[in-house]
Amino acid sequence: MTAITAHRLDAINRGLPGFARFYGYVGAIVGVAAYAMFGAAGYQSNGLLHFLTASSASWIGIGAVAGLSGATALGLAKPRLAESRLAMNMVSWFDGALMMILLTFLLAQFEPAQAQVSYNDQSNLVSGRIIMTMNVMFLAAALLYITHLFAPNSLVGKLATASAWAGVYAGGSSLLLRWYESYLLGLDIGHAPVSNLYEVFILLFCITSVIYLNFERRYNVRSMGAFVLTIVSAGVFFGIWLSSVGQADIKPLVPALQSYWMKIHVPMNFIGYSSFAVACAAGAAYLVRDRLERKGSNAKFLASFPTLDQLDQLAYKAVSIGFPAFTLATILGAAWAAEAWGGYWSWDPKETWALIVWLTYGAYLHVRVSHGWQGRSLAWWTVAGFLVTLFCFIGVNMYLSGLHSYGRLT
Amino acid sequence: MSLAIVLLVLLAIASVIGTVLLQNQAQTDYLAQFGPLWYWTFRSLGLFDMYHSPWFLTLLGFLMVSVAVCLWRNTPRMLREMRKRKVTIEDKSLQRFHHLKHWDLEKTDVATVQAHLEDQLRDWEIKSAEKDGRTYLRADKGRWNKWGYILTHAAILVILSGGWISVHFGFRGTMNVIEGGGQENTIRFLKGAKTEKMTMPFTIQCNKFYIDFYPTGMPKTFRSNLSIYDHGKEVVHNKDIEVNHPLIYKGVRIYQASFGDGGSDIKMKLFHLNDGSVSTVDSRVYSTYRDPKTGVSMEFTGFSAFNVENMAGPGEPKNFKDLGPAVTFIMRGPGLKPVKVKTFMNPFEQKGKNVGSLIMVSLSGDKKDFQPFSLGLDFSNPNDWKLLQAFGKHLIDSKEGNEQQANMQAFRAALHEVFGNKLPPNFQHMGIRVLQAMNNLSNVPWPFIPILQDYHQVYYTGLELTRDPGMNVIWIGSAILVIGLCIMFYLPHRKLWLVIEPMADKVRLTVGGMTNRNRLGFEQEFQRTLSNLEKMLVHQQ
Repeated sequence: MTAITAHRLDAINRGLPGFARFYGYVGAIVGVAAYAMFGAAGYQSNGLLHFLTASSASWIGIGAVAGLSGATALGLAKPRLAESRLAMNMVSWFDGALMMILLTFLLAQFEPAQAQVSYNDQSNLVSGRIIMTMNVMFLAAALLYITHLFAPNSLVGKLATASAWAGVYAGGSSLLLRWYESYLLGLDIGHAPVSNLYEVFILLFCITSVIYLNFERRYNVRSMGAFVLTIVSAGVFFGIWLSSVGQADIKPLVPALQSYWMKIHVPMNFIGYSSFAVACAAGAAYLVRDRLERKGSNAKFLASFPTLDQLDQLAYKAVSIGFPAFTLATILGAAWAAEAWGGYWSWDPKETWALIVWLTYGAYLHVRVSHGWQGRSLAWWTVAGFLVTLFCFIGVNMYLSGLHSYGRLT
Repeated sequence: MSLAIVLLVLLAIASVIGTVLLQNQAQTDYLAQFGPLWYWTFRSLGLFDMYHSPWFLTLLGFLMVSVAVCLWRNTPRMLREMRKRKVTIEDKSLQRFHHLKHWDLEKTDVATVQAHLEDQLRDWEIKSAEKDGRTYLRADKGRWNKWGYILTHAAILVILSGGWISVHFGFRGTMNVIEGGGQENTIRFLKGAKTEKMTMPFTIQCNKFYIDFYPTGMPKTFRSNLSIYDHGKEVVHNKDIEVNHPLIYKGVRIYQASFGDGGSDIKMKLFHLNDGSVSTVDSRVYSTYRDPKTGVSMEFTGFSAFNVENMAGPGEPKNFKDLGPAVTFIMRGPGLKPVKVKTFMNPFEQKGKNVGSLIMVSLSGDKKDFQPFSLGLDFSNPNDWKLLQAFGKHLIDSKEGNEQQANMQAFRAALHEVFGNKLPPNFQHMGIRVLQAMNNLSNVPWPFIPILQDYHQVYYTGLELTRDPGMNVIWIGSAILVIGLCIMFYLPHRKLWLVIEPMADKVRLTVGGMTNRNRLGFEQEFQRTLSNLEKMLVHQQ
């Protein structure tokens, strides 16, 4: 465990600057919510565009300034409050989100004129090119991470991390752009970009990479990147295939999906899936290291590779992010089903497979926590668990019919 | 306890079966699919309605018992442990800690060190004691972590009980109400392999059904305007319900689930190929018309007012076009292969040119196998048919030498017969259509061409009616589950023991730490705490 270096916290996130900024963001979010509830009417018909107006910006601005100044005053009066660990841990996530939104605004300037936007031919929209950038970045990151295994001390590792981050920002802003573009195609077509397989794939890449990059920053385990980004790259190829068979178009929503539940249920689910992907990568890395060690290999890269114990802990940590998120997502799905179809549980294939995934990881946690299993068998479990997750995510849509049939290829 | 794991894995494996084997289909389909031996094997195992089969329910029951036993056994112990915190610790146990650190501090005394520590660890719950001249401090964070275990397991019991209440005291069924038709009060639902009925204590009338489409032909919204009558009195008046927005009456939730054809009126024209006569048929969807002359029957299965198709070729940008109203039916007759036919009311236009009526034929009866078949003639225009008949007649009469001249002459004669001297402006197109039809119609095996002439569309609205007294229990259980999981994973129980031992000229401080979860996070927290302590205790002096 000595390989773990202490968490380097940027000074800008610590103490008053982090504390004040955190509450600035919180204020901005409160501003958005307040504008939706008490601001000018039109949220129902204009959707996202409702928030891209000057009056919306002023509500958000007031919220942000109020949060920022209030927290600064409080922090100056009681310095001990400003040491809040919640603010310190959360503020960099908000910074990232803000940067992603600013990037999206920048990219949106390159959108074609309204007259050139047509539902039938979406090839001139900017998001397509940004998604291509994301693909390239993730593939490059995978190659660089693999190279890094064999040249651990060179610049390659830093480049790998940088291109993975570039991929995350490209992917995230391409999704935000798609959200905006869907409204350009028509007010009644506009919807959050989590409605079909192609969009959620991009979401999956980004969340998986972000969870991993967070681990990398905290625990200095860059060698694991080769495994995570390989999984992401496999997905990237699948995404490219999807787009080549015409699945990348923005399509209007069927009535069942026209609900605010979609915006909550789907991303929550993908936090779960992504964590399980990271757990699988940690498990795979464990198995590789374990095999090399047992063969008595003295491969050079083992020196900088995370130890077996670290990998075991990382896999568990990923599951402990994913399991509660997945549980909550399934419950949210049940709540939506209860509102849309009248029953919270119908033993529909997607629901049943979600239960299977839940049982798989539930059993994982039981054998680990109450039976003290560790090591190789649990590493295999995370790999197998991810295969079950993959089937729940893609297999059910492709091979089994049921209520989630809108996730299918059409 | 390992029973729990066996049960979880068994439940997971069993659940797979029900997703691979389609549940609650018609028994005849199963028989055809598996053959008698496997059909009876599967049926006796209850695999066709697996999630309600006795063995699956028994498995769930075992899970409940197992969870309950675990809770019964562990809860008292955990509550006791959470309340009672032992401050002193044996040296032997301390030495076994993963996280351990010694300092020898000079020029200080126990009280100062203790005060420093208590200040530094103000986020922790601290308890102190003295024994054998040493001062023991115990610091805890997240010491209620075991509540996570208790809550999650209790939540599983609550959720399973909620499910049991739903199944035993609730109902869920469908009711199709025809737009503008009578009142309905019966729901239908599957119980095992059988469809059962249940009568509601009120009746529902669908006043109007609305549907909107996207330009791609996908339904955009649909909603029903309903009235509810209780003992003949209208208790709910003209209320709209929509997908995702149900209506509640007397504890019964009424959902907009689907829609379909409620028996639209269909008017067809049959163009008889042998004698050129035209007859009309008045029928409706879901009924069958049998032509008395030829014995050919048409079973009407569906009607749609909009038929949006992507007219783009491969590689071209999409081009959605509404082909207009169409009716589908199954055509059967003596000596004919039964086929599914879709026939349109309007002629088909290509690049602004009328290229005649279109029908689609599916040999398999499956929608996706529809093949377009161009008839050539525009059957919605009576003159087209008249011209074709006249042309055919004159073609037999014509005596000119070569075929082309014969065709021209016959066509001129036919034009004159139908239109006299006043030719319509687009007669060239009409001529092309007639020639095309001469060719295409000779391939039609049927005695007549059926064409949709008029319609009156009637929808039925598919409602789902449920009462579910277990639902709130489920939500309570779910909330407990999520809270429990958060406590379990994100508030791990971290313990520090600090032993201050006065020695001859110095004070020895020993710090040991442990956690029950998230060791990586604790490692960092422990190091951070140590470095803070070190700054304070060692460097400040």
